[in-house]
Amino acid sequence: MTVQMTSAEAPAARASGAPLASGFSDPRRTSVPVLLVFLLPALLVYAGLTAYPAFRTIYDSFFTIEGLERIPVGLSNYAALLQDETFWVAVRNTFIWSFVAPCLDVATGLLLALALYAGVPFARFLRIAWFTPVLLSYVVVAILWMWIYNYDWGVVNVALRAVGLDGWTRSWLGDPNFALASVIVTHAWKWAGFNMVVCLAAIHSLPSEVLEAAELDNCGWGAKLRHIIVPMLKPTLLNLYVLAFIGKMKVFDLVWIMTGGGPLWATETVSTYVYKRAFNWNTFDLGYPSAIATVWFGVVCAAVILLNKAFKSKDRLEY
Amino acid sequence: MQAHRQMPRLFGRGALALVIGAYTVYTLGPFLWLATMSVRNTGEISADHYAWPNPWRWEQFRVAWVDSDFATYFWNSALVVVTAVAVVTLVGAAAAHALARYRFRGNRVIYGILFSSIIFPPQITLISLYQILVDYNLYNSLLGLTLVYISLQLPLTVYLLEGFFARIPQDLFDAAKMDGYGDIEIFRRIVLPIGMPAIATTLILNFIQLWNEFLFAVVLITDPEKRTLPIGIRAFMGDHFQDIGMIAAGVMISVIPVILAYAFFSEKLIRGMTAGAVK
Repeated sequence: MTVQMTSAEAPAARASGAPLASGFSDPRRTSVPVLLVFLLPALLVYAGLTAYPAFRTIYDSFFTIEGLERIPVGLSNYAALLQDETFWVAVRNTFIWSFVAPCLDVATGLLLALALYAGVPFARFLRIAWFTPVLLSYVVVAILWMWIYNYDWGVVNVALRAVGLDGWTRSWLGDPNFALASVIVTHAWKWAGFNMVVCLAAIHSLPSEVLEAAELDNCGWGAKLRHIIVPMLKPTLLNLYVLAFIGKMKVFDLVWIMTGGGPLWATETVSTYVYKRAFNWNTFDLGYPSAIATVWFGVVCAAVILLNKAFKSKDRLEY
Repeated sequence: MQAHRQMPRLFGRGALALVIGAYTVYTLGPFLWLATMSVRNTGEISADHYAWPNPWRWEQFRVAWVDSDFATYFWNSALVVVTAVAVVTLVGAAAAHALARYRFRGNRVIYGILFSSIIFPPQITLISLYQILVDYNLYNSLLGLTLVYISLQLPLTVYLLEGFFARIPQDLFDAAKMDGYGDIEIFRRIVLPIGMPAIATTLILNFIQLWNEFLFAVVLITDPEKRTLPIGIRAFMGDHFQDIGMIAAGVMISVIPVILAYAFFSEKLIRGMTAGAVK
């Protein structure tokens, strides 16, 4: 890293034109040692505990690693990955989750924000109450929802029985056709409040004249939503979508605790599969999971960049 | 005509209230259910999962705390999280100050590098961190976990604080320089006090995120004596799947600090958590 100008050079630079009153150095520049004092700890933490491990994982993906034994295997981990059916199931599940679920999250968040914006009593309390699940850990949320989905006494089945829909009751997390959807609902429960708060802040920052004009034109809520609020909130909504997308590409805790990826890989995500291959199966090979992690790292970065590009260019056309 | 318009209005009001009520029950209901179960023993819960606690068995908490090792988990969590949060906030604030205040070549590159790791899937570092900590005898130790936690929260800390520090008016710094303050003094006596609201937000946010962290803890800690709360609860649940009352009490113990922080700093927390998303 190079530093453009040290404090010793600064006066010379000023002599050639900058009209500062006194002989003090430019306060926005400083010497390398000072910069290092401020930046070095963070850079060391980053280098040692983020950059080095990341590179090492990529490097490891070309080996078979069992204990202290490292056997270089070239690209064969990647070749094996292409043949690995469980991996592709995990990718499919994660993609379903990452592309579909954010729509659910953002839509719920927007509707809740609109409900509060419509001027209900206790809006402040409701905003804080609805945000609470965001703060609970995945472990807590997972345990709670395992009970809610419990076959015998969970809220869902009890409610269904109460209204006479006994045929609809099922073991929500044990049925391969419903397990993924059930976990997605739980995840949405946790994050809806987050999207609500962000949408609410964005709605409040809209120019009030526009909304008042719509009010004067007797514009209904549906029309107002479709023609004014959603288009004007588009940058926020897209941003929320990307954030939710990133979160879902990484999802691990909730799935691991609620279903462990089961039943029959119905909820397996890439994260849970990496964990299983690295630490839970008796294969003891850290090379193969490193290859999965490397591929997924590339996929997440590419997806985020693409989404950002796609959404950014559209925004620019809008305004 | 007038009456015609009034009808859907009223209907709309009623529907809105219904939706809001239903959603509030949906978010808070499960939590209250959990709270009632935490003061009932498992026998009572099995008899009726939805009954009101009678009597209120507060001793459940004592049993969870003493006999079920939740005290150990709690103090492990507290030690790791408080240390990591203190260090990451200081280290992050120093870096954020340098990046927000000084002009030097590579400033935006460093900021970009530090910040970009926020999107990394954790597995990319997880497997190697496990090996690295084993190499340095930090595997299965609270110190190792603390170090990892510092690195996990660094990007967010730098991001939040840089945004805030950059808005402190330059005049203050110019004046301080005139008064003969050195660079370190400026950081300590101007940036830290003025940045306190933002620093507090970052502190609480980091605290909650690390308090809830599960993946790295479950990989890096195996010794039951060193478990943090999330993996302690998970392990307890694995061993005593049927003991719902005790699990609920343990979960409540882990949630109470978060709820307390939220009760006192709800606005700060909400602002901090959503700072990256509000545009």
